[in-house]
Amino acid sequence: MKLPASLYSRRAFLNGLIGGWLAALGSAFISPLLKYIVPPTPEPDQVTVPFADYKDMAPHTVKGFAWGNKPGLLQRTEAGEYVAFVGVCTHLDCNVSFVAEQRRFYCACHEGWYDENGLNVAGPPPSPLRRLSVSVEGDTLIVKRQG
Amino acid sequence: MESDVSRRRRAIAAAGLLLLGALVASGWLEARVQESPQASLKPAAAAPEQDKPAAPRPAKERMAVYVILAWVWLSIAVLLAFLRLRVREADRVHRMGLHRAGDGPPGAPGH
Amino acid sequence: MKALGAWIEDRLGLGPVAAFLAKKEVPCHRHTILYYTGSSILLFLGIQIVTGVLLALYYQPTLAEANASVVRIMTEMPLGWLVRSVHSWSATFMIALVFAHLLGIAFTKAYRKPREATWLTGVLLLGSSLAFGFTGYLLPWDELSLAATKVGTNLPKALPVIGTWLTQVMRAGDDVTGDTITRFFIVHVSVLPLALLAILGVHIFLVQRHGMSAPLEAERDKIKLPWLPFWPNFLLREAGVWFVLLGVLLTVAVFLAPGVGPQADLMAPAPEGIKPEWYFLFMFQTLKLFPARILGLNGELIAMLVMMAGMAAVLFLPFIDDRPFERKGKVITGLAWAGLAYAIGMSIWSLM
Repeated sequence: MKLPASLYSRRAFLNGLIGGWLAALGSAFISPLLKYIVPPTPEPDQVTVPFADYKDMAPHTVKGFAWGNKPGLLQRTEAGEYVAFVGVCTHLDCNVSFVAEQRRFYCACHEGWYDENGLNVAGPPPSPLRRLSVSVEGDTLIVKRQG
Repeated sequence: MESDVSRRRRAIAAAGLLLLGALVASGWLEARVQESPQASLKPAAAAPEQDKPAAPRPAKERMAVYVILAWVWLSIAVLLAFLRLRVREADRVHRMGLHRAGDGPPGAPGH
Repeated sequence: MKALGAWIEDRLGLGPVAAFLAKKEVPCHRHTILYYTGSSILLFLGIQIVTGVLLALYYQPTLAEANASVVRIMTEMPLGWLVRSVHSWSATFMIALVFAHLLGIAFTKAYRKPREATWLTGVLLLGSSLAFGFTGYLLPWDELSLAATKVGTNLPKALPVIGTWLTQVMRAGDDVTGDTITRFFIVHVSVLPLALLAILGVHIFLVQRHGMSAPLEAERDKIKLPWLPFWPNFLLREAGVWFVLLGVLLTVAVFLAPGVGPQADLMAPAPEGIKPEWYFLFMFQTLKLFPARILGLNGELIAMLVMMAGMAAVLFLPFIDDRPFERKGKVITGLAWAGLAYAIGMSIWSLM
């Protein structure tokens, strides 16, 4: 006697149904875990620092401040204005330093250079340093995200 | 046969020593790179703190470690001599085709 | 004693395993030396587990304490400097042997049918060994390890779609912080060991299942090579090798103990002369040389893709070169030599 085909296909269908259901259930369990393992670390919208600490900077010098978990670099220009950068190399995230004698920013990790305006001029960095906007209000210096 | 084996063993030892030498040398080179400041064009690191000393300072502990090291090598040498004797014995049994008899690992059936 | 043995045998039924080991044969030929690399890796893995547990007794994986606790291990704990030195050098020896093991198998074409799965698990073991090295490097939390970790965890960012997420998972957020130390620590001491031991179990089982590979000609022509019983003839020889390696390890660890740099500062500029562990040097130098833009594309992304292609080629080598005995595989051998020469050359360059 020939077995009716539906006997087998019913089992295959149920197996597939259970397997697919388990996969969906599994991903439902896993997605909150994936959420959990990345903690939120929002970048600050703005940072305020006492102006007194930065008042006496000479032109073409740079002083650091904390931009969230990253170093910020506050620079005084020839005209006496303040410019701020996120002091993190755009190549692979190392912290940069300001070389006063050459008026350039330098990343020691892979020898990247930026000019005084934060433009990438030598080495592997693909883009300029990120700029932040600076304003002075009374005794405080406010650094904000640009754009 | 015997000389062939010993020649191969010597070659193995030489290759091993060469490899280890290269490894240690590379480690030493790295350590040197870490210590030596880079070319003057780049900014000088702002008064780098000295690395914390790695080796023990007390002369007594240092001496003790060296003595232990010497003792370790001595016991390894003696152990190698014993192992060599045992290997020869096992190889002789193997050549005679008797290795199956009564020389299984502990817990083997018939042990 | 005999009764105890019988009692255990009744419960576990390990007789066939012991019988298998008693019958295991090790062929003797000009590449027999390669057989020693596998068991020597196990030796160093054992040393890593023991010294790692010892270090974890005092190490504290937090931002404030990580560097200080390593300094404490090295200066205050009796022989702490030696335990750390052995852990560090044993890692170096183990990874060197893993590379030797892999290259030896690539050169002798021992990955061919039926040993493809053995090769796959082996490459996974290489990957977890490198992951051990990468996570372990951060734990002392000095300037160099912070900079190296920033670079290493930033690399996936260049990948499309999942890149940023991967970096965030590795770093616990957008930046390397104290949470990163904790994360690397738990991966280093728990996640990776579990993964490595599981894969290692499969790997060793497969090696036993297929038997030791013999040179191509012997396997093709079914020549019975001269052989040694694994037990005890070969094992005794291996024991000799282990003890010599152990002595060398201890000697190197005593005379070339690694130091620890000043505590990492998240706000400080990257120090001069940053470099990763020696087995990542060639990648490090490659990254340094890659220009920012290649034909208008992100150079970093291209570097990443080239590296991933290389890794994929290594992983799937048995399926790329799947002609069992027809050819000697001169192209693969040539490529393996070229890859080795490239890695060594780049590493030396980065040290100069």
